[in-house]
Amino acid sequence: MNQPLAGYAPAPVTARMEKHGSHMLKVAMQTGSDLLARVGSMVAYEGFVQYEPNPPAVRQIARDWITGEGAPLMKCSGDGLLYLADYGANVVVINLNGDAISVNATNLLAFDAHLTWGVERVKGLAKFAGQGLWNTRISGQGWIALTSRGEPIVVDCGGGEDETYVDPDALVAWSPNLKVKGKRSFKAQSLIGRGSGEAYQMAFSGQGIVVVQPSEDSTDRLRVRG
Amino acid sequence: MPREFQRGHKARISDLTAGTDLYVGVQISAPGLTFDISCFGLDADERLSDDRYFIFFNQPKSPEESVQLLGAQAGDTESFRVTLDRIPAQIRKLSFTATVDGAGQMSQIGSGYLRVVAGGEEVARYAFDGSEFTTERAVMLGDFYLKDVWRFAAVGQGFDGGLDALLKNFGGEVLEEEAPAPQQPQAPQTGGAPGFAPPVFGAPSGPAAPAPAPTQAPPQPAPGHTPPPAPSPSVHAAPTIVAPLTPPGGTVPPPAPAPAPYGQQPPYGQAPGHAPAPPPGYGQPPHAPAPPPGYGQPPAPPGYGQVPGQAASYGAVPQGAPQAAGVTAALSAFKETPTGQRWTLQNSKLIRADLGTDGRPVLARQGSMVLYQGKVDFGYKGAGFAGRIVGNATGQEMQLMRCTGHGQVFFAESATHLHPVELQGDAICVSAENVLAFDESLQYEVRRIEGHGIPGGALFTMQFQGTGTIVVKTHGTPVVLPVTPTTFVDSNAVVAWSAAAQVIVSSQVRMRRNAYPGHTGEGVNLQFRAAPGNFVVVQPYEV
Repeated sequence: MNQPLAGYAPAPVTARMEKHGSHMLKVAMQTGSDLLARVGSMVAYEGFVQYEPNPPAVRQIARDWITGEGAPLMKCSGDGLLYLADYGANVVVINLNGDAISVNATNLLAFDAHLTWGVERVKGLAKFAGQGLWNTRISGQGWIALTSRGEPIVVDCGGGEDETYVDPDALVAWSPNLKVKGKRSFKAQSLIGRGSGEAYQMAFSGQGIVVVQPSEDSTDRLRVRG
Repeated sequence: MPREFQRGHKARISDLTAGTDLYVGVQISAPGLTFDISCFGLDADERLSDDRYFIFFNQPKSPEESVQLLGAQAGDTESFRVTLDRIPAQIRKLSFTATVDGAGQMSQIGSGYLRVVAGGEEVARYAFDGSEFTTERAVMLGDFYLKDVWRFAAVGQGFDGGLDALLKNFGGEVLEEEAPAPQQPQAPQTGGAPGFAPPVFGAPSGPAAPAPAPTQAPPQPAPGHTPPPAPSPSVHAAPTIVAPLTPPGGTVPPPAPAPAPYGQQPPYGQAPGHAPAPPPGYGQPPHAPAPPPGYGQPPAPPGYGQVPGQAASYGAVPQGAPQAAGVTAALSAFKETPTGQRWTLQNSKLIRADLGTDGRPVLARQGSMVLYQGKVDFGYKGAGFAGRIVGNATGQEMQLMRCTGHGQVFFAESATHLHPVELQGDAICVSAENVLAFDESLQYEVRRIEGHGIPGGALFTMQFQGTGTIVVKTHGTPVVLPVTPTTFVDSNAVVAWSAAAQVIVSSQVRMRRNAYPGHTGEGVNLQFRAAPGNFVVVQPYEV
């Protein structure tokens, strides 16, 4: 009866985090190594997995409130298989292995709870409210999963002699050692309705990578739903 | 534009592409026939001395995976991935062959081609059809061979026996090679040629030249008109599919799994940079050394709550992961595609315009820039007074910005699929909301389609012509239909069509629709009429 669907059965587990298709994340849960995931991102689970609404790090919660960069997270613990997704966005799985990455909170799907993480202020972007001023920096030994609306692209900043400019709405993640500053390509013309539509960019320089999604829709679908 | 090869043509691979990671696609459309398409790795004596280099449906890859069978995808009946620099030294020649499976002979085939794709761009195409063959049951389509450097030859030589005889032939005696045809001094690729992703969208030909029309259509539409069943290639490939890399429909088949250095546009469901065998398709029995407990496998261990021993196996698992560790390694699958061309498709949803090559400005939809490197200035591009009047009246208005300077600009919008279309003096009609960016050298104007029954009295579209590239965006993977005498399209879903096609509005008026409420909703359609070679692009999304 369900022969056409049989092809979508889960593949055997080979890693802590894997993609099932390109839009769904499969996490092999185990007691002792908890997972932090976006609230509302769970689509299915097998086994005994428990969810706590927020990890009791009061300071971080308080900071979330202040910064608006608070990705509401839930702590998942237990044994089993956990499936996460964010409204059909592409999933990117990274084994950090000691590296660090700076992620836009909207694009964060899940990460190992033992990783070092925190909401931090992006230096060099003074007086720029909205996206990109605050972001989540994650580092350590473990796995992290990002979402991207459409297949992302990774650009090496060291490759060009000039700075790399990114539309803040399309930015997904970047290497934290990059220098960031804001760039206003804002002219007097824009005030009379003749702008180019690109009023503000973030400029990255240094050695590292920038991950960009092919969409400028940065609404947080998980949060919109509540 | 791919280089068109004729039977006997040869060329150095390095003249075609700088990459060594090639995708070879073979498409044969022959109603009722099935083909086994295979690749022979031959030694210096043109013999199959090592039968591990006979790549076919039962042996989908060579030991070091320099040649892999990928199965039917992207409109190809069969496809291979060939990594030239990993081919061992004793293999001097890769011969791609097609043999008829079951009854039939090669003269029955309609049309077919062998194409070489590198870096998401088709670089060579050898098209053939049944009239070149008679009673042969096999054909050697083309060769990669090592003569100082790797070269490609379009062979197109028929062979009377089937696959067995062909195999025996390679094992037994040396085949005569055709006299080398003189190297065709064809013009090298123009620098401005955009990277056409092979699968989705062929180079729109000029209305006159039918050959490189939509890729979905047979490469050489038969004169007269193409029978509709012809462009349905992959159906016949069913028996030759071996464990496709992607589960059916689970991931979109990648446009070109033949990446340049990094592997741009890799199969999405595939872990980046995994050299070992890909995991079997979902739902297939796992490898012999399956990971120990494996949730989701039938013999599940007794209960998830077992803490110590059982669970520990998960902790050990990540080390054995096929994926390399580290941010850079994990993301290397999504690396930027380096080519020196003006327009390069980075993946199906992102395109890069290189303004550095000649400094010509690009016009793009406002706000569609996602990233740029270099010194690029974004300015407002007004439509002019007359343009605004026309735009307001017709709805065919584009909010544009002009990108000038030197550098690379990446464009994308709302994760729509992008298709660069290179115009060489010909014209294409595109609805204004489906234009993402184009070279300023193109001229455009609003065209009017009249007809009864259209809300508002008429339909409007933008017609682009000149020499340059236009990037069309579609919601979802589009279908490129060849224009036949009976091609009808929903006016809300049509994206673009070749401007030589004549558009007629056809309304279905039936008594029943008028008599009962609840009609079909498909009242007004556009009918296209044109010579063969014209095409219509339709998206799976009704605006």
